[in-house]
Amino acid sequence: MLWGLLLAVAVAGGQGTPAPKPITVSAAVSLTDALTAVAAAYARTGGGVRFNFGASNVLARQIVNGAPVDLFVSADEAQMDVVAAAGLLTEGTRIDLLRNQLAVAVPSDRPRLFKSIRDLTDPAFRRIATGDPAAVPVGVYAQRYLEKEGLWALLQPRIIPAGSARAALAAVEAGAADAAIVYRTDLRVSLRATVAWVVPVESGPRILYPAAIVRSTTADVEAQRFLDFLRGAAAARIFERFGFASARP
Amino acid sequence: MDVWRITWFTVLCAAGATAVALPPGVVLAWLLARRKFRGRALVETFVSLPLVMPPVATGLILLMLFSRRGSAGHLLERIGIEVVFTWKAVVLAMAIMGLPMLVRTARAGFEQVNARFEDVAATLGAPPARIFLTISLPLAWPSVLAGAVLAFARALGEFGATIIVAGNIPGATRTLAVAIYGYAETGQDSLAFALILVSVAIAFAALWTANRLVERSAT
Repeated sequence: MLWGLLLAVAVAGGQGTPAPKPITVSAAVSLTDALTAVAAAYARTGGGVRFNFGASNVLARQIVNGAPVDLFVSADEAQMDVVAAAGLLTEGTRIDLLRNQLAVAVPSDRPRLFKSIRDLTDPAFRRIATGDPAAVPVGVYAQRYLEKEGLWALLQPRIIPAGSARAALAAVEAGAADAAIVYRTDLRVSLRATVAWVVPVESGPRILYPAAIVRSTTADVEAQRFLDFLRGAAAARIFERFGFASARP
Repeated sequence: MDVWRITWFTVLCAAGATAVALPPGVVLAWLLARRKFRGRALVETFVSLPLVMPPVATGLILLMLFSRRGSAGHLLERIGIEVVFTWKAVVLAMAIMGLPMLVRTARAGFEQVNARFEDVAATLGAPPARIFLTISLPLAWPSVLAGAVLAFARALGEFGATIIVAGNIPGATRTLAVAIYGYAETGQDSLAFALILVSVAIAFAALWTANRLVERSAT
C-alpha cells in the first residue's frame, strides 16, 4: 500500500516526459510570469526548461548547499556574488540580463502624480512601505536612492520595512501604508495601487538581474543555449512586455 | 485546472509522508511510552525538534544531507535516486515535520493502555513484538490514528522546509503552501485566495477528524 501511494505521488508529480531532461533554472520569484512566457517561446525552438522560483537569497543558499541547479537568474547582484564567492559559477558565463527601476506606488483611490521624489515628503505620506533596508534588496535600493537625494534622514522614521517588494505593495493595496517604494514591474498587475513616480534610470540606483551558469551543471551546452536565448531579441521583447528592460547598453 | 492539480499533488504527498512516518513513528511512540533505555530523553528531544526549530533550518539541514555533496545524497545518487528538487523531497520534508505530531499523540495513547495487560502477556511468555501487535497497538489505535491525521494535517501546510529542499518548481514540486506563496508574490491574489480556501477546508476536516478520534480514545 505504501509503495502504491508513493507511486501515485510520482505519477501525479512527475511530468511524465521521458524526452530530454529539461535544465533546472533557479530564478527570482518576481520573474515568474516573464520567464514562464520566455520558456514557452524557447520550447518552440525545442528546448526544455523547468523553473525553481524563490527569493534570490534562498535560491543562492540552495545552490551553495549543493542543490542541482543549471542556471541562476538573481534579482540582485549581491546574491549572485554569494554564489560566485563560493566558486560555484562557471567562469565567463555571468551576464547582466535585465534592468529594473524603482517606483513609488500610492493607493488607486488617492492617486497622485509626482513632479519629483521630493513630493514624497508631503506629510500626507505618514507611512511609507518598502523592503527592509537591512536585508531585502528593494529596501536596500530605496535607502540608497533616498540618501542620494538627501531625503533619507527626513523619511526614515516613516519607513515601514516589509519582507519583499510585493509585501510592501500589498500594504498600500490594503490601505495600511500611504505609499510604497517598489519595483516598476510590481505595479504592472496591481489594480488597487497606482504609479505616482518612476525613478529615472539616470538618477536611480543601478538595479540589475544577473544570470550565470552554475558550475556543477551536467548540461553545459543546454544551459548556455538557454542563456543565449534569454539575451536574444525574442526574449527581450517578452521581457519588455512584462516591464523589464534589457540590461545591455 | 491548476488549483486541483496542486491540491491533488499536495494531498498525495501528505498521505505518502504520513505512510512513511507511520512505522518508525509508532515504534518510537511505544518505546518512549513503555521502555526505559539509555538515551531515551535524547531520542525524545530529537524527535520533537522539527516542532520547534524554524522550518527553514530543518530544510537547510535536509538539503545539506540529501544534495549531491551530502552524505545521504551521495549514496542515493549511486543507486540513481535523486531527492532534492523532486517530489521525494516534498514527501521527505513533510514526513520529518509531521513525525513529532504522530509520535507525541501516539505516545499518549500507549501510556493510557493499562500496563497490567502487557505485564500479564509477558509473564505468560509472549515476546515484546507480539505484545505490541496484539495488545498495545489494538488498544491504542484511536490515538495512533489521531496522530497520523495530525501528521497529515501538518504535512499539508508544510512550507519552510519544502521550499528549501524541494523548491518551487511548477508542475513538479509545487504544493498548496508553496503555490500560495508564489501567487501572492506575483500579485495573483485571486488564485492565491482560491488555494487558501482549499487549504482551510482540508485542514479543517483533518483537525476535526483528529479531535473526534482523541475524544473517542479518552472515553
